[in-house]
Amino acid sequence: MPEIFTTLYEVFIRTYPGFLKAALITLEITAIALVLGTALGIVFALMKISKSKILQTIANLYITLIRGTPLIVQIMFLYYGITNIVVLSNFWAGAIALGIHNGAYIAEIFRGAIQGIDRGQEEASLAVGMNRRQAMRRIIFPQALRRAIPPLGNQFIITMKDSSLVYVIGVSEMFGLANREAAASFQPFETFLVVGMYYLVLVLIFSALLKWYEKKLDVDSI
Amino acid sequence: MIKTKNLHKSFGDLEVLKGIDLDVETGEVVVLIGVSGSGKSTLLRCLNFLEMPNEGEITIDGRQVDLKKDDLSNVRAEVGMVFQHFNLFPHKTVLENVTEAPIIVKKMKKERAEKEARVILEKVGLSDKADVYPGKLSGGQKQRVAIARALAMEPKALLFDEPTSALDPELVGEVLQVMQDLANEGMTMVVVTHEMKFAKEVADRIVMLDEGCIIENADPHTFFNHSTNERTRQFLEMVDV
Ligand SMILES: Nc1ncnc2c1ncn2[C@@H]1O[C@H](COP(=O)(O)OP(=O)(O)OP(=O)(O)O)[C@@H](O)[C@H]1O
Ligand SMILES: [Mg+2]
Repeated sequence: MPEIFTTLYEVFIRTYPGFLKAALITLEITAIALVLGTALGIVFALMKISKSKILQTIANLYITLIRGTPLIVQIMFLYYGITNIVVLSNFWAGAIALGIHNGAYIAEIFRGAIQGIDRGQEEASLAVGMNRRQAMRRIIFPQALRRAIPPLGNQFIITMKDSSLVYVIGVSEMFGLANREAAASFQPFETFLVVGMYYLVLVLIFSALLKWYEKKLDVDSI
Repeated sequence: MIKTKNLHKSFGDLEVLKGIDLDVETGEVVVLIGVSGSGKSTLLRCLNFLEMPNEGEITIDGRQVDLKKDDLSNVRAEVGMVFQHFNLFPHKTVLENVTEAPIIVKKMKKERAEKEARVILEKVGLSDKADVYPGKLSGGQKQRVAIARALAMEPKALLFDEPTSALDPELVGEVLQVMQDLANEGMTMVVVTHEMKFAKEVADRIVMLDEGCIIENADPHTFFNHSTNERTRQFLEMVDV
C-alpha cells in the first residue's frame, strides 16, 4: 500500500513541470474550441430557426454529421483534410477540429435557449415596430445568451476532457504527454492515474466557478 | 382610423374570423367583447399584423395595407399594442423598455428618447421606477410600463388585449385609470376587456363578437339596456352587470 504512494509521488514530482505546461495547452485548445464553437453555434442555431429551408437543411446536415460520427474520426479527417490544403500546426488543427465539433452541440444549446424565450417577447418587439432582426438582436438573443451560459459552461467541461483526443495528431496536451511519459517510464498505471487527477482537478475547479456564476446569475435574474 | 372590410382569418381548418367589417374613428374608444374563443384576440392581432388575415382589407389612417408590398414593421410602429401578460423586456430597465423602440426603430438620439420617456413615465405615474427592472414591479405597474412603452412610439391608435385580466383585483383600477386618461386625451383605442364598468363609462362603442362574426355594434347605453340579441343577453347575464 505505501509503496504505490511512493511511486505515485515520484511520478508526480518528476512529471509536474511538464504537466503544468501541458495543462496550459489543454486549456488553450479548450478555450479556442469554445470560442470557435460558440461562433459556429450561433450561426447554425440562427440558420436552424430561420425561415429558409436551404439554411435549415445546411444546419441540419452539419449537426447530423458531427453528432453522428466519433470525435476522433473528425479530428483525423480534419487534420489530414486541412493540412493538405494549408500549412497548419497540429495545435491549431486540433483546436479547429474541436471547435467545429463543438459548434454542432453549441448550436443546439442556442437553438434551445432561443426557442425557450417566451413568444410574447418577439410579439412585443414586433408590436413596437421592430423587424425580426432587431427583435432577435436586441430582445431575444440577449435573453437567450443568459440562459445558454450554464449549458455552455457544461460544454466547456466536456470539451476540456474531449481535448485529450487531439493526442492522436501529436499535440502535447496533457493526455499526449501522459501517453509518451507512460511509454518512456514503463509506469503507465501511475502516469495515467496522475493525468486523470489533473483532469479531475481542472473539472472540479471549473464546475465550482460555474456554480458560483450560476448563483450570481440567479440572484441577478429578474 | 382603423377600418376592416370582409376580414377572414383561419387557423388550418378552423375559421376564426368570418368576414369582419369594423370601422374605428379617430379618437374613438371601441370595446370588443365576446365569449372565450369568439375571436377577439385574433381580430386585435390582425389589426396589428401579428396575425396575417387570409382575406379582406385593413385600412390604417386612410391607407390600405398591402400585406405583400408594405413593410409591416412601419405599420405596426403606428399602432401600439398592450398585452394581457405585459411582455415587458425583462433584461432592460423600465426606462430602457420605453426608450428601446424609439432608439432602435425611430433612430432617435438616446438623450431625447430618455427625456421623452420620463415624461411618459410621469404620465403613467411611474417616474420613480425608471431604473428598476420589470421583475421588481407589481402587475399593475408592469402594465403601466407596457402602456408607456407603446406610447413612446407616438402611435395613432392603441390596441389592448385584456390588459387587466392577469392582475390582482386591487391593481385593476390603476391600469383602467391610465386607459381612461388616454381616452380622455383623444387616443384611438380598441380594447378587449371583461371590465363592464369600463365599457359602460369609457367606451364610445361596444362591438360584440360571436363565433367570428360581429353580432352587435352599438353605443354602450343601447348595448347594455336595449339589446334584443339573444346571444348578447346571454352574455350580459353571464358577466353579471
Ligand atoms: N395561433 C393559433 N393557432 C390555432 N388556433 C388558434 C390560434 N390562435 C387562436 N386560435 C383559435 O382561434 C379561436 C379564437 O381564438 P381567440 O384567441 O381569438 O379568442 P378570444 O376571443 O380572444 O378568446 P379569449 O377570451 O379566451 O382570449 C380559438 O378557438 C383558438 O383556439
Ligand atoms: Mg383573447
